[in-house]
Amino acid sequence: MDSGKVKFFLGEVLRNFSRNTGMQLTAIGTVAITIVLLGLFLFVRAALADAGNKLLDQIEISAYLQPDATAAQAAAIGHFLVQDPRVASAQFVPKKQGLAELRARTRGSIDTALLTENPLPDKFRIKVRDPEQVEPVAATVRRLAGVDNVVYGQKIVQRLLALGAVLRRVGIGLILAFVGVASIIISNTIRLTVFARRREIAIMQLVGATNTYIRLPFICEGLVDGVIGALVALALLAGARATLWPRLLEALPWVQLTAMPVDARILAAQLILTGTAIGVLASWISVGRYLRT
Amino acid sequence: MISLRGVSLVYPNGVRALDNVSLEIGKGDFVFLVGHSGTGKSSLLRLLYREAAATAGEIVVDGIRVDRLRRNRVPALRRHLGVVFQDFKLLTDKTVWENVAFAMQVTGAHTRDVMRQVPRVLDLVGLSHKSRMYPNELSGGEQQRAAIARALVNNPKILLCDEPTGNLDPVNTTEITALLQRINLKGTTVVVATHNQAVVDRMRRRVVRLEDGRITTDEERGYYYLGLGQGQILSG
Repeated sequence: MDSGKVKFFLGEVLRNFSRNTGMQLTAIGTVAITIVLLGLFLFVRAALADAGNKLLDQIEISAYLQPDATAAQAAAIGHFLVQDPRVASAQFVPKKQGLAELRARTRGSIDTALLTENPLPDKFRIKVRDPEQVEPVAATVRRLAGVDNVVYGQKIVQRLLALGAVLRRVGIGLILAFVGVASIIISNTIRLTVFARRREIAIMQLVGATNTYIRLPFICEGLVDGVIGALVALALLAGARATLWPRLLEALPWVQLTAMPVDARILAAQLILTGTAIGVLASWISVGRYLRT
Repeated sequence: MISLRGVSLVYPNGVRALDNVSLEIGKGDFVFLVGHSGTGKSSLLRLLYREAAATAGEIVVDGIRVDRLRRNRVPALRRHLGVVFQDFKLLTDKTVWENVAFAMQVTGAHTRDVMRQVPRVLDLVGLSHKSRMYPNELSGGEQQRAAIARALVNNPKILLCDEPTGNLDPVNTTEITALLQRINLKGTTVVVATHNQAVVDRMRRRVVRLEDGRITTDEERGYYYLGLGQGQILSG
Protein backbone atom coordinates (compact mmCIF):
# COMPACT_ATOMS: atom_id res chain seq x y z
CA MET A 1 0.00 0.00 0.00
CA ASP A 2 1.49 3.32 -1.02
CA SER A 3 0.38 6.57 0.52
CA GLY A 4 -1.50 7.60 -2.62
CA LYS A 5 -3.69 4.52 -2.39
CA VAL A 6 -4.44 5.12 1.28
CA LYS A 7 -5.26 8.75 0.55
CA PHE A 8 -7.59 7.74 -2.29
CA PHE A 9 -9.33 5.17 -0.12
CA LEU A 10 -9.81 7.44 2.89
CA GLY A 11 -10.94 10.20 0.53
CA GLU A 12 -13.62 7.89 -0.88
CA VAL A 13 -14.84 6.90 2.59
CA LEU A 14 -14.92 10.51 3.76
CA ARG A 15 -16.64 11.68 0.58
CA ASN A 16 -19.35 9.05 0.91
CA PHE A 17 -19.75 9.79 4.57
CA SER A 18 -20.22 13.51 4.16
CA ARG A 19 -22.41 13.18 1.08
CA ASN A 20 -25.13 11.22 2.86
CA THR A 21 -25.11 13.00 6.19
CA GLY A 22 -28.82 12.48 6.76
CA MET A 23 -28.63 8.76 6.24
CA GLN A 24 -25.49 8.47 8.35
CA LEU A 25 -27.29 10.24 11.18
CA THR A 26 -30.20 7.82 10.86
CA ALA A 27 -27.86 4.86 11.06
CA ILE A 28 -25.94 6.34 13.99
CA GLY A 29 -29.20 7.14 15.77
CA THR A 30 -30.46 3.60 15.29
CA VAL A 31 -27.28 2.11 16.67
CA ALA A 32 -27.38 4.57 19.57
CA ILE A 33 -30.98 3.70 20.50
CA THR A 34 -30.28 -0.01 20.28
CA ILE A 35 -27.18 0.26 22.39
CA VAL A 36 -28.98 2.44 24.97
CA LEU A 37 -31.72 -0.19 25.26
CA LEU A 38 -29.18 -2.96 25.45
CA GLY A 39 -27.09 -1.09 28.01
CA LEU A 40 -30.17 -0.30 30.12
CA PHE A 41 -31.22 -3.89 29.98
CA LEU A 42 -27.80 -5.23 30.96
CA PHE A 43 -27.51 -2.67 33.76
CA VAL A 44 -30.97 -3.32 35.21
CA ARG A 45 -30.48 -7.05 34.91
CA ALA A 46 -27.22 -6.83 36.83
CA ALA A 47 -28.87 -4.58 39.44
CA LEU A 48 -31.78 -6.99 39.92
CA ALA A 49 -29.51 -10.00 40.11
CA ASP A 50 -27.37 -8.14 42.60
CA ALA A 51 -30.35 -7.15 44.74
CA GLY A 52 -31.67 -10.70 44.57
CA ASN A 53 -28.34 -12.13 45.69
CA LYS A 54 -28.25 -9.73 48.59
CA LEU A 55 -31.70 -10.81 49.68
CA LEU A 56 -30.69 -14.42 49.36
CA ASP A 57 -27.53 -13.76 51.33
CA GLN A 58 -29.63 -12.54 54.20
CA ILE A 59 -31.84 -15.56 54.24
CA GLU A 60 -31.16 -17.82 57.16
CA ILE A 61 -32.46 -21.19 58.10
CA SER A 62 -34.00 -21.60 61.53
CA ALA A 63 -33.83 -25.19 62.71
CA TYR A 64 -36.08 -25.56 65.79
CA LEU A 65 -35.26 -28.42 68.09
CA GLN A 66 -37.78 -30.74 69.62
CA PRO A 67 -38.72 -29.60 73.16
CA ASP A 68 -37.31 -32.85 74.54
CA ALA A 69 -34.11 -32.73 72.54
CA THR A 70 -31.10 -33.54 74.65
CA ALA A 71 -27.98 -31.43 74.97
CA ALA A 72 -26.06 -34.28 73.32
CA GLN A 73 -28.39 -34.09 70.31
CA ALA A 74 -27.95 -30.32 70.13
CA ALA A 75 -24.17 -30.74 70.28
CA ALA A 76 -24.30 -33.38 67.54
CA ILE A 77 -26.35 -31.06 65.31
CA GLY A 78 -23.93 -28.23 65.95
CA HIS A 79 -20.99 -30.47 65.14
CA PHE A 80 -22.63 -31.65 61.92
CA LEU A 81 -23.38 -28.08 60.79
CA VAL A 82 -19.86 -26.87 61.39
CA GLN A 83 -18.50 -29.71 59.27
CA ASP A 84 -20.89 -29.20 56.37
CA PRO A 85 -18.98 -27.26 53.64
CA ARG A 86 -22.19 -25.64 52.39
CA VAL A 87 -22.80 -23.92 55.70
CA ALA A 88 -21.27 -20.50 56.22
CA SER A 89 -22.20 -20.12 59.87
CA ALA A 90 -24.33 -21.87 62.43
CA GLN A 91 -25.30 -20.35 65.75
CA PHE A 92 -27.05 -22.06 68.63
CA VAL A 93 -29.83 -19.87 70.03
CA PRO A 94 -31.10 -21.15 73.39
CA LYS A 95 -34.78 -20.56 74.17
CA LYS A 96 -33.97 -17.82 76.67
CA GLN A 97 -32.13 -15.79 74.08
CA GLY A 98 -34.88 -16.51 71.58
CA LEU A 99 -37.44 -14.99 73.92
CA ALA A 100 -35.26 -11.93 74.51
CA GLU A 101 -34.91 -11.47 70.76
CA LEU A 102 -38.64 -11.87 70.29
CA ARG A 103 -39.25 -9.28 72.99
CA ALA A 104 -36.86 -6.87 71.32
CA ARG A 105 -38.37 -7.46 67.89
CA THR A 106 -42.00 -6.89 68.99
CA ARG A 107 -41.01 -3.89 71.13
CA GLY A 108 -43.43 -4.57 73.96
CA SER A 109 -46.52 -5.15 71.85
CA ILE A 110 -46.60 -8.64 73.38
CA ASP A 111 -46.41 -8.72 77.14
CA THR A 112 -44.04 -11.61 77.72
CA ALA A 113 -44.35 -11.12 81.46
CA LEU A 114 -47.70 -12.89 81.22
CA LEU A 115 -45.98 -16.09 80.12
CA THR A 116 -45.62 -18.63 82.87
CA GLU A 117 -43.07 -20.57 80.91
CA ASN A 118 -40.98 -20.00 77.78
CA PRO A 119 -42.93 -21.48 74.82
CA LEU A 120 -40.01 -21.17 72.41
CA PRO A 121 -37.82 -24.14 71.56
CA ASP A 122 -34.06 -23.96 71.23
CA LYS A 123 -32.91 -23.37 67.67
CA PHE A 124 -29.96 -23.19 65.34
CA ARG A 125 -29.58 -20.14 63.11
CA ILE A 126 -27.85 -21.27 59.91
CA LYS A 127 -26.45 -19.28 57.02
CA VAL A 128 -25.33 -20.98 53.81
CA ARG A 129 -22.60 -19.93 51.45
CA ASP A 130 -24.59 -20.19 48.20
CA PRO A 131 -28.27 -19.16 48.00
CA GLU A 132 -28.88 -22.15 45.75
CA GLN A 133 -28.07 -24.40 48.71
CA VAL A 134 -30.68 -23.03 51.11
CA GLU A 135 -33.18 -25.72 50.19
CA PRO A 136 -30.85 -28.74 50.16
CA VAL A 137 -29.28 -27.70 53.47
CA ALA A 138 -32.73 -27.19 55.02
CA ALA A 139 -33.76 -30.65 53.83
CA THR A 140 -30.64 -32.25 55.31
CA VAL A 141 -31.05 -30.50 58.65
CA ARG A 142 -34.72 -31.50 58.87
CA ARG A 143 -33.69 -35.18 58.92
CA LEU A 144 -31.25 -34.78 61.82
CA ALA A 145 -32.24 -36.36 65.15
CA GLY A 146 -33.70 -33.83 67.56
CA VAL A 147 -34.77 -31.36 64.89
CA ASP A 148 -38.44 -30.58 65.06
CA ASN A 149 -39.02 -28.05 62.32
CA VAL A 150 -37.00 -26.09 59.78
CA VAL A 151 -38.12 -22.66 58.68
CA TYR A 152 -36.67 -20.36 56.02
CA GLY A 153 -38.07 -17.94 53.46
CA GLN A 154 -39.10 -20.78 51.14
CA LYS A 155 -41.25 -18.63 48.89
CA ILE A 156 -38.74 -15.82 48.57
CA VAL A 157 -35.92 -18.21 47.83
CA GLN A 158 -37.93 -20.05 45.21
CA ARG A 159 -39.10 -16.84 43.55
CA LEU A 160 -35.71 -15.20 43.49
CA LEU A 161 -34.06 -18.30 42.07
CA ALA A 162 -36.78 -18.55 39.42
CA LEU A 163 -36.45 -14.86 38.59
CA GLY A 164 -32.71 -15.24 38.16
CA ALA A 165 -33.19 -18.16 35.79
CA VAL A 166 -35.82 -16.29 33.77
CA LEU A 167 -33.64 -13.18 33.54
CA ARG A 168 -30.75 -15.24 32.27
CA ARG A 169 -32.88 -17.01 29.68
CA VAL A 170 -34.87 -13.98 28.53
CA GLY A 171 -31.71 -11.91 28.54
CA ILE A 172 -29.99 -13.80 25.76
CA GLY A 173 -33.14 -13.81 23.63
CA LEU A 174 -33.71 -10.09 24.14
CA ILE A 175 -30.14 -9.22 23.28
CA LEU A 176 -30.31 -11.26 20.10
CA ALA A 177 -33.60 -9.58 19.19
CA PHE A 178 -32.14 -6.11 19.81
CA VAL A 179 -29.11 -6.79 17.67
CA GLY A 180 -31.22 -8.39 14.94
CA VAL A 181 -33.65 -5.49 14.73
CA ALA A 182 -30.87 -2.92 14.74
CA SER A 183 -28.99 -4.79 12.03
CA ILE A 184 -32.06 -4.84 9.82
CA ILE A 185 -32.74 -1.13 10.24
CA ILE A 186 -29.13 -0.19 9.68
CA SER A 187 -28.74 -2.48 6.72
CA ASN A 188 -31.75 -0.76 5.18
CA THR A 189 -30.20 2.63 5.86
CA ILE A 190 -26.93 1.56 4.34
CA ARG A 191 -28.77 0.02 1.41
CA LEU A 192 -30.06 3.52 0.69
CA THR A 193 -26.52 4.85 0.60
CA VAL A 194 -25.54 1.92 -1.60
CA PHE A 195 -28.45 2.75 -3.88
CA ALA A 196 -27.40 6.39 -3.98
CA ARG A 197 -24.03 5.24 -5.23
CA ARG A 198 -25.18 2.55 -7.66
CA ARG A 199 -23.64 4.38 -10.64
CA GLU A 200 -20.30 4.42 -8.93
CA ILE A 201 -20.60 0.74 -8.04
CA ALA A 202 -21.61 -0.13 -11.61
CA ILE A 203 -18.58 1.72 -12.94
CA MET A 204 -16.30 0.06 -10.41
CA GLN A 205 -17.59 -3.33 -11.51
CA LEU A 206 -17.22 -2.34 -15.14
CA VAL A 207 -13.55 -1.47 -14.86
CA GLY A 208 -12.80 -4.65 -12.94
CA ALA A 209 -12.82 -3.72 -9.27
CA THR A 210 -13.24 -6.80 -7.12
CA ASN A 211 -16.29 -7.14 -4.89
CA THR A 212 -14.09 -6.99 -1.83
CA TYR A 213 -12.71 -3.67 -2.98
CA ILE A 214 -16.19 -2.31 -3.69
CA ARG A 215 -17.42 -3.50 -0.31
CA LEU A 216 -14.60 -2.09 1.74
CA PRO A 217 -15.66 1.59 1.89
CA PHE A 218 -19.21 0.57 2.84
CA ILE A 219 -17.94 -1.71 5.59
CA CYS A 220 -15.80 1.14 6.89
CA GLU A 221 -18.84 3.38 6.79
CA GLY A 222 -20.90 0.85 8.77
CA LEU A 223 -18.07 0.44 11.23
CA VAL A 224 -17.82 4.20 11.80
CA ASP A 225 -21.62 4.43 12.17
CA GLY A 226 -21.55 1.61 14.70
CA VAL A 227 -18.72 3.05 16.76
CA ILE A 228 -20.15 6.58 16.81
CA GLY A 229 -23.61 5.24 17.66
CA ALA A 230 -22.20 3.19 20.51
CA LEU A 231 -20.24 6.16 21.85
CA VAL A 232 -23.36 8.35 21.76
CA ALA A 233 -25.26 5.62 23.59
CA LEU A 234 -22.50 5.31 26.20
CA ALA A 235 -22.63 9.06 26.83
CA LEU A 236 -26.41 8.89 27.31
CA LEU A 237 -26.13 5.88 29.60
CA ALA A 238 -23.38 7.46 31.67
CA GLY A 239 -25.53 10.58 32.00
CA ALA A 240 -28.54 8.55 33.12
CA ARG A 241 -26.41 6.57 35.55
CA ALA A 242 -25.06 9.78 37.08
CA THR A 243 -28.37 11.66 37.37
CA LEU A 244 -31.35 9.29 37.36
CA TRP A 245 -29.98 6.20 39.09
CA PRO A 246 -29.18 7.88 42.47
CA ARG A 247 -32.70 9.31 42.54
CA LEU A 248 -34.14 5.89 41.85
CA LEU A 249 -32.04 4.48 44.67
CA GLU A 250 -33.43 7.16 46.98
CA ALA A 251 -36.99 6.58 45.85
CA LEU A 252 -36.78 2.83 46.45
CA PRO A 253 -34.91 2.47 49.73
CA TRP A 254 -36.39 -0.92 50.52
CA VAL A 255 -34.99 -2.46 47.33
CA GLN A 256 -31.36 -3.15 48.01
CA LEU A 257 -29.88 -1.73 44.80
CA THR A 258 -26.19 -1.13 44.41
CA ALA A 259 -24.93 2.17 43.02
CA MET A 260 -22.89 0.39 40.35
CA PRO A 261 -23.83 -3.27 39.94
CA VAL A 262 -21.59 -3.82 36.89
CA ASP A 263 -18.03 -3.08 35.91
CA ALA A 264 -18.44 0.08 33.81
CA ARG A 265 -15.39 -0.67 31.68
CA ILE A 266 -16.53 -4.16 30.79
CA LEU A 267 -20.05 -2.96 29.98
CA ALA A 268 -18.67 -0.12 27.84
CA ALA A 269 -16.43 -2.54 25.95
CA GLN A 270 -19.34 -4.91 25.39
CA LEU A 271 -21.56 -2.13 24.07
CA ILE A 272 -18.94 -0.66 21.74
CA LEU A 273 -18.16 -4.12 20.40
CA THR A 274 -21.86 -4.76 19.81
CA GLY A 275 -22.29 -1.41 18.03
CA THR A 276 -19.31 -2.10 15.79
CA ALA A 277 -20.53 -5.60 15.03
CA ILE A 278 -23.99 -4.29 14.14
CA GLY A 279 -22.53 -1.67 11.79
CA VAL A 280 -20.18 -4.06 10.01
CA LEU A 281 -22.73 -6.86 9.78
CA ALA A 282 -25.45 -4.57 8.43
CA SER A 283 -23.27 -3.00 5.75
CA TRP A 284 -21.84 -6.35 4.73
CA ILE A 285 -25.34 -7.73 4.20
CA SER A 286 -26.73 -4.72 2.36
CA VAL A 287 -23.81 -4.36 -0.06
CA GLY A 288 -23.68 -8.09 -0.57
CA ARG A 289 -27.28 -8.13 -1.69
CA TYR A 290 -26.54 -5.38 -4.17
CA LEU A 291 -23.40 -6.94 -5.59
CA ARG A 292 -25.04 -10.29 -6.22
CA THR A 293 -27.64 -8.88 -8.60
CA MET B 1 -8.98 -12.26 -29.85
CA ILE B 2 -12.75 -12.75 -29.60
CA SER B 3 -14.50 -15.97 -30.53
CA LEU B 4 -18.15 -16.98 -30.22
CA ARG B 5 -19.37 -20.44 -31.16
CA GLY B 6 -23.04 -21.33 -31.22
CA VAL B 7 -23.85 -18.72 -28.59
CA SER B 8 -27.44 -18.21 -27.43
CA LEU B 9 -28.73 -15.85 -24.80
CA VAL B 10 -32.19 -16.16 -23.32
CA TYR B 11 -33.07 -13.61 -20.67
CA PRO B 12 -34.93 -14.76 -17.55
CA ASN B 13 -38.12 -13.18 -18.91
CA GLY B 14 -37.96 -15.60 -21.83
CA VAL B 15 -36.76 -13.16 -24.48
CA ARG B 16 -34.30 -14.81 -26.84
CA ALA B 17 -31.74 -12.05 -27.42
CA LEU B 18 -29.21 -14.11 -29.33
CA ASP B 19 -29.74 -17.33 -31.21
CA ASN B 20 -26.85 -19.59 -32.17
CA VAL B 21 -24.38 -16.81 -32.95
CA SER B 22 -20.85 -17.61 -34.14
CA LEU B 23 -18.28 -14.90 -34.75
CA GLU B 24 -14.50 -14.59 -34.92
CA ILE B 25 -12.76 -11.26 -34.39
CA GLY B 26 -8.99 -11.18 -34.80
CA LYS B 27 -6.36 -9.18 -32.99
CA GLY B 28 -6.38 -5.54 -34.10
CA ASP B 29 -9.67 -5.83 -35.99
CA PHE B 30 -12.20 -3.03 -36.24
CA VAL B 31 -15.76 -4.37 -36.35
CA PHE B 32 -19.15 -2.69 -36.54
CA LEU B 33 -22.18 -4.49 -35.15
CA VAL B 34 -25.26 -3.09 -36.88
CA GLY B 35 -28.95 -3.80 -36.77
CA HIS B 36 -32.22 -2.38 -35.50
CA SER B 37 -32.85 -1.77 -31.82
CA GLY B 38 -33.46 -5.02 -30.00
CA THR B 39 -31.64 -7.22 -32.48
CA GLY B 40 -29.03 -8.23 -29.95
CA LYS B 41 -26.09 -5.85 -30.53
CA SER B 42 -25.89 -4.73 -26.92
CA SER B 43 -26.59 -8.24 -25.69
CA LEU B 44 -23.64 -9.53 -27.68
CA LEU B 45 -21.34 -6.92 -26.13
CA ARG B 46 -22.74 -7.65 -22.67
CA LEU B 47 -21.79 -11.28 -23.11
CA LEU B 48 -18.21 -10.28 -23.93
CA TYR B 49 -17.69 -8.31 -20.73
CA ARG B 50 -19.78 -10.84 -18.81
CA GLU B 51 -22.58 -8.51 -17.80
CA ALA B 52 -24.81 -11.28 -19.13
CA ALA B 53 -24.07 -15.00 -19.11
CA ALA B 54 -24.59 -17.09 -22.26
CA THR B 55 -27.38 -19.64 -22.10
CA ALA B 56 -25.50 -21.87 -24.55
CA GLY B 57 -22.34 -21.83 -26.60
CA GLU B 58 -18.67 -21.03 -26.14
CA ILE B 59 -17.16 -17.55 -25.73
CA VAL B 60 -13.43 -16.82 -25.65
CA VAL B 61 -12.14 -13.29 -25.05
CA ASP B 62 -8.39 -12.73 -24.99
CA GLY B 63 -7.84 -16.37 -24.12
CA ILE B 64 -10.43 -16.40 -21.31
CA ARG B 65 -13.34 -18.83 -21.49
CA VAL B 66 -16.00 -16.25 -20.61
CA ASP B 67 -18.90 -18.73 -20.69
CA ARG B 68 -17.24 -20.79 -17.98
CA LEU B 69 -15.94 -17.86 -15.98
CA ARG B 70 -16.57 -18.02 -12.26
CA ARG B 71 -18.14 -14.93 -10.76
CA ASN B 72 -15.07 -14.01 -8.76
CA ARG B 73 -12.93 -14.05 -11.93
CA VAL B 74 -15.12 -11.48 -13.72
CA PRO B 75 -13.05 -8.49 -12.48
CA ALA B 76 -9.93 -10.07 -14.01
CA LEU B 77 -11.72 -10.37 -17.39
CA ARG B 78 -12.87 -6.76 -17.28
CA ARG B 79 -9.35 -5.51 -16.73
CA HIS B 80 -8.57 -6.88 -20.22
CA LEU B 81 -11.45 -4.90 -21.71
CA GLY B 82 -12.43 -1.27 -22.11
CA VAL B 83 -16.13 -0.52 -22.40
CA VAL B 84 -17.73 2.70 -23.66
CA PHE B 85 -21.43 3.54 -23.56
CA GLN B 86 -23.86 5.93 -25.20
CA ASP B 87 -24.46 7.72 -21.88
CA PHE B 88 -20.73 7.98 -20.99
CA LYS B 89 -21.27 6.75 -17.41
CA LEU B 90 -18.95 9.32 -15.90
CA LEU B 91 -19.07 10.19 -12.21
CA THR B 92 -20.38 13.75 -12.04
CA ASP B 93 -18.71 14.62 -8.75
CA LYS B 94 -15.24 13.75 -10.00
CA THR B 95 -13.08 15.68 -12.43
CA VAL B 96 -12.01 14.22 -15.76
CA TRP B 97 -8.64 13.33 -14.24
CA GLU B 98 -10.30 11.65 -11.23
CA ASN B 99 -12.76 9.77 -13.43
CA VAL B 100 -9.94 8.30 -15.49
CA ALA B 101 -7.71 7.64 -12.48
CA PHE B 102 -10.67 6.00 -10.69
CA ALA B 103 -10.59 3.07 -13.13
CA MET B 104 -7.01 2.36 -12.12
CA GLN B 105 -7.35 3.14 -8.44
CA VAL B 106 -10.26 0.77 -7.84
CA THR B 107 -8.23 -2.07 -9.32
CA GLY B 108 -5.53 -1.36 -6.78
CA ALA B 109 -3.02 0.18 -9.19
CA HIS B 110 0.11 1.75 -7.80
CA THR B 111 -0.03 5.55 -7.54
CA ARG B 112 3.17 5.81 -9.57
CA ASP B 113 1.47 4.00 -12.48
CA VAL B 114 -1.66 6.15 -12.14
CA MET B 115 0.41 9.32 -12.34
CA ARG B 116 2.13 8.05 -15.48
CA GLN B 117 -0.81 6.45 -17.26
CA VAL B 118 -3.61 9.02 -16.78
CA PRO B 119 -1.82 11.93 -18.52
CA ARG B 120 -0.90 9.58 -21.36
CA VAL B 121 -4.51 8.56 -22.17
CA LEU B 122 -5.82 12.10 -21.61
CA ASP B 123 -3.29 13.25 -24.18
CA LEU B 124 -4.37 10.45 -26.55
CA VAL B 125 -8.02 11.58 -26.45
CA GLY B 126 -7.04 15.27 -26.49
CA LEU B 127 -8.40 16.25 -23.06
CA SER B 128 -5.17 17.15 -21.25
CA HIS B 129 -6.19 20.80 -21.02
CA LYS B 130 -9.57 19.92 -19.45
CA SER B 131 -8.44 17.35 -16.95
CA ARG B 132 -9.51 19.47 -13.98
CA MET B 133 -13.03 20.06 -15.28
CA TYR B 134 -16.15 18.19 -14.19
CA PRO B 135 -18.22 16.18 -16.70
CA ASN B 136 -21.07 18.72 -16.59
CA GLU B 137 -18.67 21.41 -17.79
CA LEU B 138 -17.81 19.43 -20.93
CA SER B 139 -19.56 18.95 -24.28
CA GLY B 140 -21.01 15.55 -25.11
CA GLY B 141 -18.06 14.76 -27.36
CA GLU B 142 -15.59 15.68 -24.65
CA GLN B 143 -17.47 13.57 -22.12
CA GLN B 144 -17.30 10.61 -24.47
CA ARG B 145 -13.59 11.20 -24.96
CA ALA B 146 -13.16 11.19 -21.18
CA ALA B 147 -15.08 7.91 -21.04
CA ILE B 148 -12.84 6.46 -23.77
CA ALA B 149 -9.77 7.61 -21.84
CA ARG B 150 -11.13 5.79 -18.79
CA ALA B 151 -11.76 2.67 -20.87
CA LEU B 152 -8.17 2.75 -22.18
CA VAL B 153 -6.31 3.66 -19.02
CA ASN B 154 -5.73 0.04 -17.99
CA ASN B 155 -4.22 -0.73 -21.44
CA PRO B 156 -6.92 -3.16 -22.59
CA LYS B 157 -6.36 -5.19 -25.75
CA ILE B 158 -10.04 -4.84 -26.62
CA LEU B 159 -12.32 -1.79 -26.67
CA LEU B 160 -16.08 -2.45 -26.72
CA CYS B 161 -18.33 0.49 -27.66
CA ASP B 162 -22.11 0.39 -27.29
CA GLU B 163 -23.60 3.21 -29.38
CA PRO B 164 -20.65 5.51 -28.62
CA THR B 165 -22.03 8.31 -30.81
CA GLY B 166 -25.70 7.85 -29.97
CA ASN B 167 -25.88 11.07 -27.98
CA LEU B 168 -23.58 13.17 -30.16
CA ASP B 169 -24.02 15.67 -32.97
CA PRO B 170 -22.37 14.97 -36.36
CA VAL B 171 -19.22 16.98 -35.61
CA ASN B 172 -18.57 15.21 -32.34
CA THR B 173 -19.52 11.91 -33.95
CA THR B 174 -16.79 12.43 -36.53
CA GLU B 175 -14.26 13.25 -33.84
CA ILE B 176 -15.09 10.20 -31.79
CA THR B 177 -15.00 7.98 -34.84
CA ALA B 178 -11.59 9.32 -35.77
CA LEU B 179 -10.40 8.72 -32.22
CA LEU B 180 -11.62 5.11 -32.30
CA GLN B 181 -9.78 4.63 -35.53
CA ARG B 182 -6.60 6.05 -34.05
CA ILE B 183 -6.92 3.71 -31.09
CA ASN B 184 -7.41 0.80 -33.47
CA LEU B 185 -4.27 1.78 -35.41
CA LYS B 186 -2.29 1.43 -32.17
CA GLY B 187 -3.26 -2.25 -32.15
CA THR B 188 -6.35 -2.31 -29.98
CA THR B 189 -9.20 -4.51 -31.18
CA VAL B 190 -12.31 -2.30 -31.45
CA VAL B 191 -15.92 -3.52 -31.56
CA VAL B 192 -18.60 -0.86 -32.10
CA ALA B 193 -22.33 -1.48 -31.88
CA THR B 194 -24.05 1.36 -33.68
CA HIS B 195 -27.14 2.72 -35.39
CA ASN B 196 -25.22 5.44 -37.11
CA GLN B 197 -25.35 4.87 -40.84
CA ALA B 198 -22.99 7.76 -41.64
CA VAL B 199 -20.23 6.44 -39.41
CA VAL B 200 -20.41 2.93 -40.82
CA ASP B 201 -20.61 4.04 -44.42
CA ARG B 202 -17.71 6.49 -44.10
CA MET B 203 -15.38 4.02 -42.39
CA ARG B 204 -15.92 1.04 -44.72
CA ARG B 205 -14.72 -1.47 -42.15
CA ARG B 206 -15.96 -4.95 -41.31
CA VAL B 207 -19.73 -4.90 -40.70
CA VAL B 208 -21.56 -7.68 -38.85
CA ARG B 209 -25.33 -7.41 -39.22
CA LEU B 210 -27.71 -8.79 -36.61
CA GLU B 211 -31.40 -9.46 -37.16
CA ASP B 212 -33.61 -10.99 -34.48
CA GLY B 213 -30.63 -12.28 -32.56
CA ARG B 214 -28.94 -13.93 -35.53
CA ILE B 215 -26.00 -12.82 -37.65
CA THR B 216 -27.35 -12.37 -41.18
CA THR B 217 -24.31 -10.94 -42.96
CA ASP B 218 -20.63 -10.38 -42.22
CA GLU B 219 -18.81 -8.21 -44.78
CA GLU B 220 -15.13 -7.30 -44.79
CA ARG B 221 -15.78 -3.75 -46.07
CA GLY B 222 -19.47 -3.18 -45.55
CA TYR B 223 -22.12 -0.51 -45.53
CA TYR B 224 -24.81 0.11 -42.96
CA TYR B 225 -27.50 -1.17 -45.29
CA LEU B 226 -26.84 -4.35 -47.18
CA GLY B 227 -25.13 -3.51 -50.45
CA LEU B 228 -25.96 0.21 -50.29
CA GLY B 229 -23.66 3.19 -49.84
CA GLN B 230 -24.31 6.49 -48.11
CA GLY B 231 -27.02 8.63 -49.68
CA GLN B 232 -28.90 5.73 -51.14
CA ILE B 233 -32.37 5.10 -49.79
CA LEU B 234 -34.10 1.84 -49.31
CA SER B 235 -37.38 1.71 -51.16
CA GLY B 236 -40.54 0.78 -49.36
